[in-house]
Amino acid sequence: MSTEQLKTEAERPVAFTVNGQAWRGWVEVRRTLADVLREEVGLLGTHVGCEHGVCGACTVLVNGQAVRSCLMLAVQADGCEILTVEGLSESTERLHPLQESFWDHHALQCGFCTPGVLLSAYALLQENPQPTLEDIHEWLSGNVCRCTGYQNIVEAISDAASRLSAEKGGR
Amino acid sequence: MAQAPRFTGQRIRRVEDPRFLTGRGRYLADLEPLGTLAVAFLRSPHAHARIRRLDVTPALQVSGVAAVVTGADLTEANIYCAGLGGQPYPPLAVDEVLYVGHPLVAVVARSRAQAEDAIDAVVVEYEPLPAVVDPVEALAEGAPRVFSQAESNLCFHLEHTPEGLDALFAEAACVVRGTFRHQRQTAVPMETRGILAQYEPVSSRLQVYASSQWGHGLRDGLAKALGLPQSKVQVTLPDVGGGFGAKYGVYPEDVVVAWLALKLGRPVKWVSDRLEAMVSDFHARDSIHIAEGAFAKDGTFLAIRDHMISPAGAYLLDGSAAVLETVIASLVLPGPYKVQAVGFRIDGALTNTTPLGTYRGVWGPAATWVQESLMERAASELGLDRVQMRLHNMVRKEEFPYASCTGVVYDPGSYQESLQTAMEAIDYPGFLKRQREARAQGRYLGLGIAAFVEPTSLGAWQPEPPTVPYESAVVRMEPGGEVVVQVSVNSHGQGHETTIAQLVADALSVDIGKVTVRFGDTAAAPYGGGTFGSRSITVGGGAALEAAGRLRDKILAIGAHLLEAAPEDVELRDGTVAVKGVPARSLSLAEIGRVAHWVPAKMPSGMEMGLEASSRYVPPPITFSNGCHAAEVEVDPKTGRVRIQRYVVVEDCGVMVNPTIVEGQIIGGVAQGVGAAFLEELGYGEDGQPWATTLMDYHLPSVTDVPRVECLHLETPSAVPGGMKGMGESAMVASPAALVLAVEDALSPLGVRFERMPLTPERVWQAMTATRS
Repeated sequence: MSTEQLKTEAERPVAFTVNGQAWRGWVEVRRTLADVLREEVGLLGTHVGCEHGVCGACTVLVNGQAVRSCLMLAVQADGCEILTVEGLSESTERLHPLQESFWDHHALQCGFCTPGVLLSAYALLQENPQPTLEDIHEWLSGNVCRCTGYQNIVEAISDAASRLSAEKGGR
Repeated sequence: MAQAPRFTGQRIRRVEDPRFLTGRGRYLADLEPLGTLAVAFLRSPHAHARIRRLDVTPALQVSGVAAVVTGADLTEANIYCAGLGGQPYPPLAVDEVLYVGHPLVAVVARSRAQAEDAIDAVVVEYEPLPAVVDPVEALAEGAPRVFSQAESNLCFHLEHTPEGLDALFAEAACVVRGTFRHQRQTAVPMETRGILAQYEPVSSRLQVYASSQWGHGLRDGLAKALGLPQSKVQVTLPDVGGGFGAKYGVYPEDVVVAWLALKLGRPVKWVSDRLEAMVSDFHARDSIHIAEGAFAKDGTFLAIRDHMISPAGAYLLDGSAAVLETVIASLVLPGPYKVQAVGFRIDGALTNTTPLGTYRGVWGPAATWVQESLMERAASELGLDRVQMRLHNMVRKEEFPYASCTGVVYDPGSYQESLQTAMEAIDYPGFLKRQREARAQGRYLGLGIAAFVEPTSLGAWQPEPPTVPYESAVVRMEPGGEVVVQVSVNSHGQGHETTIAQLVADALSVDIGKVTVRFGDTAAAPYGGGTFGSRSITVGGGAALEAAGRLRDKILAIGAHLLEAAPEDVELRDGTVAVKGVPARSLSLAEIGRVAHWVPAKMPSGMEMGLEASSRYVPPPITFSNGCHAAEVEVDPKTGRVRIQRYVVVEDCGVMVNPTIVEGQIIGGVAQGVGAAFLEELGYGEDGQPWATTLMDYHLPSVTDVPRVECLHLETPSAVPGGMKGMGESAMVASPAALVLAVEDALSPLGVRFERMPLTPERVWQAMTATRS
């Protein structure tokens, strides 16, 4: 097989939308969505913690669903809409209420798992805007945080849910 | 201080958080200079084997490969790691592999994927050799040796029998015994280790970026291993995604990557994947304590004997748990209790397992378990109330400073008060009633108590301490009035950018927004010991306070001179120097800064220009935090599953700079304690094969495993500036003991005693079944 043939075997064109912006490129079929988001798209906020789908640090939203981007191949995201932590807020000055609540409740320490936890929480609140503590526990069981002991994360999500529904009610 | 503190003691939101919350934190994996090459390691699948044949030529044919190096390449260049064992420690295995995960070949390629492809192409023929895993077997006559040329596997031995110890045991009304085996664990920071090294021709120095807790230590270690002057190595730490002790030191991979960068003249980078992290990060704990306690009839704790045995792994490292966990335990085994004598024997054995290093709470989880178990067992034998018996034995307020029989001196604390506070919070009398009622219904409720001391803020704790005995800070005010603080300690989650800014803002009476805290670059930060052993806020913060105090004095002197007042008549207030009682006569700090940096003629005569002060702060030898954990659990007799119903922590860490951050450390520490008590174990088969090499097999606590932690605070200030004590490890030190003892209390009708952690449902169920039959 020639090198050119190998290249077409090994690579595919991929196009998706990330945080509202279109991206397209040739991608090696064996590369994960996490690797392509980080190394090709240049969005470094998605972190890789275990590469075997346990820790949840790499969680992003694909078509609104929370997905472990280390277990999804980039070619599978062709045509999808992706949301990463960078898409949650416009800047460090204007945080999403969820981020604001994490800040208020000291829901992060080293910050490495935080993007994945935020995206999981975001997906939860999309699906269930007023979750009980039990709902939050169940939803977060796919995210490992080694620093915080989770308590402040749970409180932050619960508080963010109240803030968001108050905001909605106010409109 | 002219004003009451505005920031110290307040629950300030962390300054560093916005970048982490928006995905703008920058960790090691995020750094990628142009032309960076990736490294992958070939690691041994055998616990012990001779390398019969090693052929790397097929790997060199793989697309993208730039270099392949073996152990022999490194030893020929005289490159070694530092170890304590007296054995040479080549960064890549030569001739024999000594544990599963032992690296033997490094491949450098354009991408990590290509490097891994090439690793698969390396041809190795192994001749398996007998392996030894258990430390007791390793020390037995005729055991297979990790190093065939060594006489035995014994790598560390220390013993001490104080005068009168045997007599105390002979006279004791009650002697209780137990075996306590703390399982092997590893710290598992969510960000794995990683290093990026690059030779800078312009300044002819090696620039290293690493996910590390101690930049200067890594710099010194790499300089030594590579034969470079320390000034020719610069280590810069980006954001570090957790450490917990696992990122304190110089690993073989660090040496290999740095050497490759020099050899290839290209940026070279390695980021550990999780599978290799589980076998190559320091393993931790793993000690057996065969302990006994002597008690008088009235419950007085007389003496302890403890034989500690630890499998060090294939190399005895600087920070080996086989040495540090056991030696520190020998000093602090009595915990908060007055004990007349402690005798001990420590045996460290080389084994065909990953080398042991440090993990949060070095010494503590095992020693607190021993100490509190002896207390519980004696109370039960003597028929005394376990709370009263603890109170009876604790060091009292009026007895501080208290010289322990082990030679360490406890500074003032609140031992009895913290136990009493915890018992009130958990409603001890009410619990006893609930427990009785539950038992009548066939339910198993238990209460575990762990009163603890935490030795923190190590200074000159030995005449020639093995750790850096001080920390440094440089505080300077820029001409515009902003304050920059350079500290030698660095954060991997602890929040130094906030807490140290709180201290300095108050010392200089400026807004916290005016203060920037920097760390982590050996070219800019002053020398120090980095972040370990619950000492950043006390030793690093102490240095920052001392330096800020010196700067404050200089600002006041310049201000007084300009205001034509006596220095004692002026004060710092809200960003100005003002004459006391005459707020109208004041100068802004920006004006003082302008004069100090630009106008020599207006400076007090003989005073140096500029606004900068520094400190190298040596704290008292050891500062002891203390407190008490109380855990209420229910055991399901059908499954052996333990549910934590309530968890109370009383913590006395002196003055709290930021109570929210203190509580974050406590809650996170309890979560790790839940992991130790119930979930985490790095087991090995007799053949030396590790049983947990993924996060599927190594069970980290998840949100559903961790209880809500109720935090209560007491405050006994220490002698360090600001009155703080360290506390980053205390919850890890106390919680495993509280949880295990809670389960034993629940199962006390069955007389169950546990000899090893973790208490998995299977182990609990088996223990219950064994006593029933």
